[in-house]
Amino acid sequence: MSRRIHPAVVGAQPFQLTARETFDGPIFETAEGKHRLEAALSRYPTKQAALLPMLGFVQSVKGWIEPADMVEVAEALDLTPAYVHSIATFYTMYSKHPVGRHFVQVCTNISCHLNRAEEVLRGFLAETGTREGEISEDGEFTVIEAECLGACGFATVVQVNDRYLEDVTPERVPEIVAGLRGSRDGGSEAGDGA
Amino acid sequence: MAENGAKATVTLTIDGVEVTVPSGTRVIEAAEHVGVVVPRYCYHPGIPSRPAQCRMCLVEVEGRPKLEPSCTLQAADDMVVNTASDTARTARQSVIEFLLVNHPLDCPICDAAGQCMLQDYAYVTNQLESRVDEPKRIMGRDRISDDILYFADRCVICTRCVRFMRDVAEDDSLIVAQRGDKAYIDTFPGRELDNPFQGNIVDVCPVGALVHEDFVFKARSWDMDATASVCPGCPTGCNVTIDTKENQIVRVKPRHNAAVNSWWMCDYGRNHLVMTNRGVRAEVPLIRDGGGDGDRGDLRPVDWATALDWVAEKIAALGSPGGSAVVSPDASNENLFYVRRLLDRLAVADATFQVEQGETAELPTVPTLKLRADRAANVAGAGIFGGRRVDALRNGAAADGSAGGGSAGRALVVLDDLLEGAPDDFGASAGFFLYVGTRLPGAARNADAVLPIATFAEMDGTFTNFEGRVQRFHQALRPPGLARPGWMVLSRVLARLGDGEAVNDVRTAFERMAAEAPPFAGLTWDGIGLKGAPAAEANR
Repeated sequence: MSRRIHPAVVGAQPFQLTARETFDGPIFETAEGKHRLEAALSRYPTKQAALLPMLGFVQSVKGWIEPADMVEVAEALDLTPAYVHSIATFYTMYSKHPVGRHFVQVCTNISCHLNRAEEVLRGFLAETGTREGEISEDGEFTVIEAECLGACGFATVVQVNDRYLEDVTPERVPEIVAGLRGSRDGGSEAGDGA
Repeated sequence: MAENGAKATVTLTIDGVEVTVPSGTRVIEAAEHVGVVVPRYCYHPGIPSRPAQCRMCLVEVEGRPKLEPSCTLQAADDMVVNTASDTARTARQSVIEFLLVNHPLDCPICDAAGQCMLQDYAYVTNQLESRVDEPKRIMGRDRISDDILYFADRCVICTRCVRFMRDVAEDDSLIVAQRGDKAYIDTFPGRELDNPFQGNIVDVCPVGALVHEDFVFKARSWDMDATASVCPGCPTGCNVTIDTKENQIVRVKPRHNAAVNSWWMCDYGRNHLVMTNRGVRAEVPLIRDGGGDGDRGDLRPVDWATALDWVAEKIAALGSPGGSAVVSPDASNENLFYVRRLLDRLAVADATFQVEQGETAELPTVPTLKLRADRAANVAGAGIFGGRRVDALRNGAAADGSAGGGSAGRALVVLDDLLEGAPDDFGASAGFFLYVGTRLPGAARNADAVLPIATFAEMDGTFTNFEGRVQRFHQALRPPGLARPGWMVLSRVLARLGDGEAVNDVRTAFERMAAEAPPFAGLTWDGIGLKGAPAAEANR
């Protein structure tokens, strides 16, 4: 099974290089993997300190982190798999389960809640035909409820992969979902002004 | 309080009592000097890391605005600490209330009930009703290793177990997974703990979250009797507490001894000790007094007086025939001493013993604690009393050759060795074959007399550990049938032969040994105490 760059993170955070390689076999034996590992190790005094960036890298390649990946990271950083497991489960933004190509997070905290976030969430679930956290049958969508995304001035905020959609109303949801469905490369092309 | 550079001690007041402690002492430890045990979960004296995360040991320090965790707070001069002020008590009560939000309160079926720090502290808060209306989160049960279960709902996430594994055993394979109210203790998915010292995580657990599977649902803490003892698994001699119920060993826990095992013990010792008293035992004295000339007759069961009289008579008749002996490195010093007296009487110089071998294991941070290859408690003692160690496990030649089974008219004495691999005619031609043992192996079939004795768990006595430390153990169980302590039995044989008194208590036996065996010179039963004392020159 080949590991393609997961669309969830194409064009991800600007400080990250975008993985452009196909990943077969052990991640840290690929050129990209080696490069990322060396870059991270050069930045910190201990190998352990590179754990979070490396978990982030794995997620950027696969979209989620499974136990086998934790073993690989552990071996690369001279840690025990158990320790990596502990860290990966502590941080909720590392996905420990597979997600769809478009990972939709709907904020339901106070500002968004006042701006009909619950309706937006229900709208996304209905449009994609999933229950919360599920992958839709076509593999395109996973919708979850998120805690504050830090854009309260633009409620309701929806995060699709790494892009923010602002001022989302329930009425706009079908259009957004249709747009995402048509897009080839994840959230970067979806919505407006994002 | 000399003022020469760094001060050696500091003086502070804890709960109104002034106490002087070495500088660097933490307040939680200083408090113990004045008899105050500050409630704690994450603090354990044997685990070096102090995360101060459970917030149970918060104390009030006069002049400081906030409560401070006493496990990390260094004692300082003129510090005035209140461990039980209203503020401190309220804070503690809040911690307990939070812990009980999701706790299942299944004390009636929990193995820790009665010995549970959550139960104790919750009881003290006297808050009998919960203010929580929401349902509890339920996590269930997991298997941490092949014999340790984890009840996640009871866990208070003190991380003692995690830190024992990480800091003491240096095995970073037990972790806290998730966070907040979802946090639980886990290994890597699909893997189990595999460390020779992992059983200690059950002992450090302050609640009933970690339980040995072979103990689960077996005994309530108030039904058990605890006895101070010494692990017989190897010559290290870890100090242990044996918990018994209805004359069965149900649990073994390490007992603190800074000079030997610190707070810990290995899993081999723990499991070995629990199994010590299983198996078929010799329960009644047997003698072969039937038949006349040539016909040796059968072994028949008799009462002690008859057996002892008969054995003494036979030995008296033999005089000093010489011969050989097999002794056991599992026997106590007192047993070995009395056997040595008997052998001297029979002019038997050569006593051999064999030691079962096994794998070794070390606890990295506690150099004195090591599972040694010798699988017997008293190898040193067997040597002190003239035993010659034979390496080859008993093949017929070694046993027969050294045991002198072929030397007609001479004596053969065996002390509690199972004589595995001995030939069928082992000891058949000996002039007098005395078998003194806890069990009755087939190779004792040719014995002229069998005297059943108690195991170490069924009597008081001492072992000499690998570095010559003499350590006391105490009677935890009743011996089966007519079995009695070896020193009690052998002192009676010797008394009938005019050598000393019949001994009824271990103190007398020990003191006679200390008087007559130079390595034990100067030691007294009371002086050894529960922590042991080094023998004079037992180092080997």
